[in-house]
Amino acid sequence: MAIRGLGFALFALPLLCPAAPADFFEQRIRPLFVKRCQGCHTIDKLSSAAVVPGNPEASVLYQAVARTHAKLQMPPTGKLPDAEIADLARWITEGAVIPAAPPPGKPSSWAFSALPQPAPVNIDAQLAKQRNEAKLTPNPRADKRTLLRRVTYDLTGLPPTPAELAAFDADRSPDAFAKVVDRLLASPHYGERWARHWLDLARYADGQLGASSDTPYPNAYRYRDWVIHALNADRPYNEFARAQIAAEKPEDLAALGFQALGHGANDQLDVTTRTFLGLTVACAQCHDHKYDPIPTKDYYSLLGVFKSSKVHEHPLADEATVKAYQDHKKRIDDAKFALERFVQLQAADLAELLARQTAQYLTAKTADGLDPEIFARWQAYLKGPAKDHPFLENTTPEKFQALVNRIFADRRGMEERNFVKLGGTKGLRDESTRQWTNLESLPILEYYLWRDLASDPYNKDFFSFAGGIYYFGEKEIDRWLSPLWKAEHDRLRRELKELQDTLPKQYPFLHTLRDADKPANAKVAIRGDEQNLGEEVPRHFLTALCDSEPAPFTKGSGRAELADAILGHPLTARVIVNRVWQGHFGAGIVASASNFGQLGERPTHPALLDALAAEFIADGWSLKRLHRRIVLTDAYAMSSAYTAANAQIDPENKLLWRANLKPRLDAEALRDSLLAVAGQLDRTAGGPAQPLADTFHRRTVYGYVGRTKPDPSLALFDFPNPNNPAEKRTVTLGPMQRLYFLNNSFVARQAEAFTQRLTGDDRTKIQQAYQTLYLRAPREEEITMGLQFLQQSGGAWPQYAQVLMTATEFTAVN
Amino acid sequence: MLRRDILKGIGGSLGMLGMAHAAAPGPHFAPKAKRVIFLFLNGGMSQVDTFDPKPVLDQRDGQPMPGPKLQTDRAAGNLMKSPFRFARHGQSGLPVSEIFPKLAKRADDLCVIRSMHSDNGNHGPSLLMMNCGHNLPGRPSMGSWLTYGLGTDNHNLPGFVVLCPGYPVLGPQLWDSAFLPATYQGTHLLTKESGPEKILQNIRNAKLSLGEQERQLALLDRLNAGYLQQLGHEPQMEASIASMEVAFRMQTEAPEIFNISNEPEAIRARYGDHEFGRGCLMALRLAEKGVRMVQVYFGNFQPWDSHDDIRVHSKLAQAADGPIAALLEDLKQRGMFDDTLVVIGSEFGRTPMIQNSGLERVGNGRDHNVHGFTTVLAGGGVKGGMAYGATDEFGYKAVENKVHVHDLQATILHLMGLDHTRLTYRYSGRDYRLTDVGGHVVKPVLA
Repeated sequence: MAIRGLGFALFALPLLCPAAPADFFEQRIRPLFVKRCQGCHTIDKLSSAAVVPGNPEASVLYQAVARTHAKLQMPPTGKLPDAEIADLARWITEGAVIPAAPPPGKPSSWAFSALPQPAPVNIDAQLAKQRNEAKLTPNPRADKRTLLRRVTYDLTGLPPTPAELAAFDADRSPDAFAKVVDRLLASPHYGERWARHWLDLARYADGQLGASSDTPYPNAYRYRDWVIHALNADRPYNEFARAQIAAEKPEDLAALGFQALGHGANDQLDVTTRTFLGLTVACAQCHDHKYDPIPTKDYYSLLGVFKSSKVHEHPLADEATVKAYQDHKKRIDDAKFALERFVQLQAADLAELLARQTAQYLTAKTADGLDPEIFARWQAYLKGPAKDHPFLENTTPEKFQALVNRIFADRRGMEERNFVKLGGTKGLRDESTRQWTNLESLPILEYYLWRDLASDPYNKDFFSFAGGIYYFGEKEIDRWLSPLWKAEHDRLRRELKELQDTLPKQYPFLHTLRDADKPANAKVAIRGDEQNLGEEVPRHFLTALCDSEPAPFTKGSGRAELADAILGHPLTARVIVNRVWQGHFGAGIVASASNFGQLGERPTHPALLDALAAEFIADGWSLKRLHRRIVLTDAYAMSSAYTAANAQIDPENKLLWRANLKPRLDAEALRDSLLAVAGQLDRTAGGPAQPLADTFHRRTVYGYVGRTKPDPSLALFDFPNPNNPAEKRTVTLGPMQRLYFLNNSFVARQAEAFTQRLTGDDRTKIQQAYQTLYLRAPREEEITMGLQFLQQSGGAWPQYAQVLMTATEFTAVN
Repeated sequence: MLRRDILKGIGGSLGMLGMAHAAAPGPHFAPKAKRVIFLFLNGGMSQVDTFDPKPVLDQRDGQPMPGPKLQTDRAAGNLMKSPFRFARHGQSGLPVSEIFPKLAKRADDLCVIRSMHSDNGNHGPSLLMMNCGHNLPGRPSMGSWLTYGLGTDNHNLPGFVVLCPGYPVLGPQLWDSAFLPATYQGTHLLTKESGPEKILQNIRNAKLSLGEQERQLALLDRLNAGYLQQLGHEPQMEASIASMEVAFRMQTEAPEIFNISNEPEAIRARYGDHEFGRGCLMALRLAEKGVRMVQVYFGNFQPWDSHDDIRVHSKLAQAADGPIAALLEDLKQRGMFDDTLVVIGSEFGRTPMIQNSGLERVGNGRDHNVHGFTTVLAGGGVKGGMAYGATDEFGYKAVENKVHVHDLQATILHLMGLDHTRLTYRYSGRDYRLTDVGGHVVKPVLA
């Protein structure tokens, strides 16, 4: 949209601002400008005619919105609500204060401020304080069965077994639950579970977006496995993060899949800032961030870093192998081109020769003395449907022959001139040269005649052409070639085939980034338009997150310096601590886990988040110990029971008076659980991704994640679209999911396998089933229900098991 | 029976049950149209050869285009006249090219917007702009916004259906729900498939009869009821359990609707034995059953992308003309024309200049053009027999009453009873909408 001039632009009064009016501006006026004016007006300059501080009536801005100005009426779409006009009046009366972008060193947001001194944190005490103030009564501790199920799903994404519950039940020591937690954190399944959370953020997929199918990245899994391994090894988070931005050690290069398995510099910038800093820097691609202190220039400062980093397939093979493979591929390309060009030129010469006999073919009654195949082609052509050219009407064989000769001669001349225009063979092989070279061509009707006689077959855009009468291609041209040319044709064919047959399988490689040979600053793309470039900006960190003027990055692309800057900022620890919290409580202390900016949610427990972040850093950035601190709280162990009195005060459970119910297992936990209870889960770790077929019994995290077509069952259960980073899964519950439980063959297979595990009479089997699926004994009426069903269905155990496995008690976690 | 009690209790929009958004935020005001059928002529229909005649091109055929050069995708040559003739049709005298003879007979139903423009001359970004309101991937599609905003009128069918023989360029991104809940994603059906099992996943059980399933459901109800009782007050869970009943019903009702062989032979014949024709007929049936938006892609990849030879447009139009005219006719005949909005158009148009770059073989084609193109509306709430806006004398650039893609989207939403500035969704801390920060309703086309 065009920036419309009002004779003034909004905003540029350099005023010093007392705190209250500045807050009023941020809370009421900035949103108003954004909503009502910024579609057309820029927010950077405000002339003194527009706003006279202290005097709304004299301010053109006010006159325009209040509709008291003689000509100017804003906004043109209709008068603002009275309340907004009153806000504007109040703002101007109070001095029309606009807080300047925060000067370096002065944090603008709670999230950017320094962390407190680290100290051991009593999470429960901090939660209790706010709960008490709100007069909420916390729920009692959940029973051991509920707690074991909750923590096992949260830490490993798998259901606990009856034996695990029995052991937990039998352990009466005060640290019985801590032992369970330590067991789960030590399990390799912990890394698989939490890697999947991370892969959601990393918009991970095993293939590249295509129109109808993915181009698979056969080596993408090496990044996925790196994440799983790093989490299982409890690599400190600062190392874990740094590796994914600027890995240097060979054993960590796989981590750069975080960057490389995406789509370009803008995407890398977005996913990096969103994941590690919880900021939507990408908003500043087209305009200064409307809410956070991120100017467009900062976006391009960071973009310079990513544009100076190139996607690189880092070979896991020696140099000689790589070179041999690349050379071999190039030789195939060359051989292919040589063969195609040979056939093209021969076919063109042949068609031109044959075209001179056109009059004979037109007049002949039989193929005598002519080539029978061409004669047959002519016969078919003359009988065929209406032609795209008029030249066969009202003509004589002689006239037609003359026309054909002339058109072929014209065409030959054009081809030669076009070849020169393109710059010879080199240009001919270069798509971009061809795209930008205007060539000569025959007038369209003459082209159609030439095409019908001499063109190779083609199939484009809803139109296909089977090949001209005089056209003989690769497979059929040999009979026209002299022995010498034929030998040459054979040689070219043989050479190509030999090369193709001997191409070795491509060596394995890692998807990484490496610094460009010549790192360079980016230029600001005005309003995000890359064809409209403004000034060049140095590569540096976000101004708002620096204590002073940001120092330009000087080493290579600057990625290593960017990683240092990100990890040196307190925001980074706050963001990851909040993500872990969200993973356990269902909601983060900051509910918008990837937006800690002005438009994100405010923290429910800011002091707690800060204290946890400080402790996390002091504790050496250990994620496992952070999990432990969180799940060993009383708050985590509360029951999820609903109490009306509490719900009235805090219906969203923001102050954690109960545990949050998880109404449905996510896609992976659901599939893994069905396999686990059926005794079918293959616990092998790592390796190339495979399609999630019914017969694929490994954990879902090892299944193929498609960008173009997500696995339909995963998508059905809200698996996030891997083209966008996902900070949290949405949870939908709908009939299409119910159809899955009713009819999907995978569910039926697992129900059948589950049935095979049960032994004894029906009553005993029902008891076993309840223990395995729900970790409890069935009530008497439940046994009766089961027996009744089995009786009515003629003992259809798989049908019964399917019901038990799709019941809410199995698919929800309370 | 318990699940029926629950159903009664919660009434409303079961088909769209989502935890996050059980109730649709719209409509904001009385709608003119209840549903949208978007016939997407993917690849880029040339405006100067179809609905935007430019006699100047006949006079200046082969001459260079005067004036400043606008950004094109590839090397552009001289002006090229249309190989097709135009004639005026209907009482309105709306000019339509000879390649759409049947549609021309319905000229008085058509609202031709000749002043469309978009932002980026490549297929990908322009397809995203037309479908999702932004040049880059990651935004929800119009159908997702509509179903999110309005819910569905049929709980037994998806609210947003996309029909294509296979896939257009970019494929599923064009009907993505992005950050809207996944329920609102378009359901992509292959028009080349016929059996309902291939169309709706999990719609049939390979082994169990409906009677056996009924027995399973009865048991499941009782188990879930017991569990819910223990949980206490959890309305979302109750609703989720109720969706089982809907699923059960879908098994019998949905396959019926997809079976176009139910239509009389006389009707099927008018749509032709072509995938686009079958798509149009299926769209009619789906619209009839309350599907909120049906999008029919003309074909796989991008058939209308006539870089090589603009005459191919006549072959494309031959396949499109009959089905579109039949669809308009049948909507009328079934009393649905007035509340069904039909949109006919492409991601962009084509240049009035010839494209004859080294990539092409024929040398009689036209390149992409985002500076000016045509979109045709018909039905629900728009004026018929009118042309709105204009391109310059060559048909290159929209100059009069310009309509940006966001304006078209704002207008479509408006006709469906939604204010495009109020239909928002908060994601990652920001309120997003289909029209980004733009869009004005094109009031003069409203009936």
